[in-house]
Amino acid sequence: MTDLILLLIKASVIYGGLLGCAALMTLAERKVSAWMQYRIGPNRVGPFGLLQPLADGVKFIFKEDVTPDGANPWMFRLAPLMAAVPAMMTVAVVPFAGDVTLFGYDFGPLSIADLDIGILFVLAIGGLGVYGVILGGWASNSKYSLLGGLRASAQMISYELSLILIVLSIVAMTGSLDLREIVAAQTGTFLGVLPDWNVFQQPVAFVLFVIATFAETNRLPFDFAECEPELVGGFHTEYSSMKFALFFLGEYCAMIVMACLTTVLFLGGAEVPYWADAPWFLQLPAFMVKAGFFCFLFIWVRWTLPRFRFDQLMHLGWKVFLPVALVNLFLTGLLISF
Amino acid sequence: MADLLFYLMAALATVAGVGVVVARSPVISVVSLLASFGALAVIYLLAGYQFLAAIQILVYGGAVMVLFLFTVMLLNLGDPDVTSGQTEPLFHGSRRSLIGLCTATVMGAAGLVAVLRVAWNEMPSVLAIPEGGLDPLDQLAAQMFTRYSLPFEAASVLLLATAVGVLVIAKRNRPGEKAFPSRAVAAEAAPTAPAAPQPASKPLPEPGPEPEEVLS
Amino acid sequence: MVIVQRKSLSLAERLYLPEVLRGLSITFKKIFQPAITRQYPEEPLPTTEVTRGQPRLVVKDDGNIACVSCGLCEAACPAYAITIDGQETDRFIEREPERFDIDMLRCILCGFCEEACPKDAIFMSNELELADYSRSGLVYDMEKLKRPASALKGRMDYIKRINDRWQTSSST
Repeated sequence: MTDLILLLIKASVIYGGLLGCAALMTLAERKVSAWMQYRIGPNRVGPFGLLQPLADGVKFIFKEDVTPDGANPWMFRLAPLMAAVPAMMTVAVVPFAGDVTLFGYDFGPLSIADLDIGILFVLAIGGLGVYGVILGGWASNSKYSLLGGLRASAQMISYELSLILIVLSIVAMTGSLDLREIVAAQTGTFLGVLPDWNVFQQPVAFVLFVIATFAETNRLPFDFAECEPELVGGFHTEYSSMKFALFFLGEYCAMIVMACLTTVLFLGGAEVPYWADAPWFLQLPAFMVKAGFFCFLFIWVRWTLPRFRFDQLMHLGWKVFLPVALVNLFLTGLLISF
Repeated sequence: MADLLFYLMAALATVAGVGVVVARSPVISVVSLLASFGALAVIYLLAGYQFLAAIQILVYGGAVMVLFLFTVMLLNLGDPDVTSGQTEPLFHGSRRSLIGLCTATVMGAAGLVAVLRVAWNEMPSVLAIPEGGLDPLDQLAAQMFTRYSLPFEAASVLLLATAVGVLVIAKRNRPGEKAFPSRAVAAEAAPTAPAAPQPASKPLPEPGPEPEEVLS
Repeated sequence: MVIVQRKSLSLAERLYLPEVLRGLSITFKKIFQPAITRQYPEEPLPTTEVTRGQPRLVVKDDGNIACVSCGLCEAACPAYAITIDGQETDRFIEREPERFDIDMLRCILCGFCEEACPKDAIFMSNELELADYSRSGLVYDMEKLKRPASALKGRMDYIKRINDRWQTSSST
């Protein structure tokens, strides 16, 4: 029984944190883009505009909920859920910090579930997020939405392949699918000076992985599912009100999860550099700094790079990423066996 | 609790499976199949096969069904139900239906036999197997590539045959068109298609790249 | 016809990543540049005497309105925004407006009234903001339009200067 209560507490803390971070990301997106363009950004609601996400949420709730004529009503309702829920589910296995001791009570490690197949779980459930986009595009009964959905499906399949191959090379090095063990394998030092993080051991895989996460989460150099100039709004053209907000939430949650995953796989997760036994209240900020950097990177890149062309995206995915990832996996296998 | 979840998921898988067959829109069929796969994955999880569950979702849910959806949307089968509300009857007495019915009967019977044998404990139930821990990944791999390597390869040949079969079936032959027209054949066939009204004396331009050329 | 000579890309450019990093560094530097945003309601737009804002009526230093309700501005107004009813007064000028309404929803801020006025009684102020919850609230009556002469001093001097120049140049 106490286990169940413990789990509930941890789940509510982590999900509260995730949703809070997603809300903050929407604000950060606007703030950072403003700074990059010599502007100030939202600053009217609350100090520094910190309550802006709340105001946005209220606005979303009170917007009219339009279902277009000829749309498939069930699929139209299901799609936003299918976009948001998988993204939120994947955060369950991310190890945010080591054992938490608070008020003299041991709460265990700071993650909801400790699965043996953690990384597979993330990839499997995360891969389901594409259904929200495809079905949303199909159910809207609109050519723009359909095109957006189709593009999203083609893109996500192409890049998921490379993503899995890259993850496989990390898994092969660690010998486990458990995220906790992948983190544990990255303690210590590499070449005497650097922390023993996979980013130094697998630099090619790191670069490929970060780029592939952009494609996987439909972020800007690869945001063909939305593609405002050509497809109005892509798959969510016809969506309004809270359904649209759910798509948004799913996108930002997926970004945060991908940032967490990059941290876990390549930057030693919650490890404080050169201090393997750091207490949890130092590990958690360390994790948040690392993951926060990748969250910032998502925004940073979005406001820097223009959108690719779709054929360029496919070219990059199949003719560059896949071979490089395969070669990388092969070399990793060679290195391990000798 | 686990029993309840099992029965719930089994029921969901069955209902979704029926949904795949009776749904009028192919997209609904695909989504039903997805739900069925999801329910199966939960059953695997209940049985302790975490890896199998994850692979079920990853391969079938994440990859294969996305491709299905992609194909279904691109094929443009023409939704008969959306506008007219009429559907083809599920069984209309043709030979095709008869074959389908026979296959379904045989498979259903086989499933029934399996269930009954489990019920009489002649065969160990799936739920009882994983005594040796929750990570039988290496055992699974060893079994698959040694003892079951022939069925494994056979399954891949079956998949290949399916892929080829789908290509043949999906390519609907229209009158005056070869099954797989080359570029040259398509260019020849183009003038017979109803094009924009033009003076008959004027030779038709090559079908093609610039719409302005056709209009001028 | 222009033949564009495209130079072939170097290896670093074809790899794309160095160029991406260059772009990222540029945008990152821009984050720390000061914003050029004007926080509008707190930092209003700068106005000069040339700014042609909403028309206002001059109240002279002795407390009386300068208008004699001659109706020239009403006649000059291309948008029919001005309505004047005159009345007699004991003062030396004998007439003053009983009612002077400007429908600010009709006013197009053209400044013809200012030009037409023979008594320097109506001027385009530097007031630009116009908002209300009803249409009737935007029909300004005399009380809303009155401004002390000191508030409109800059504009009055400017108009006088312009008029003087115009008169001298045309008479010669």
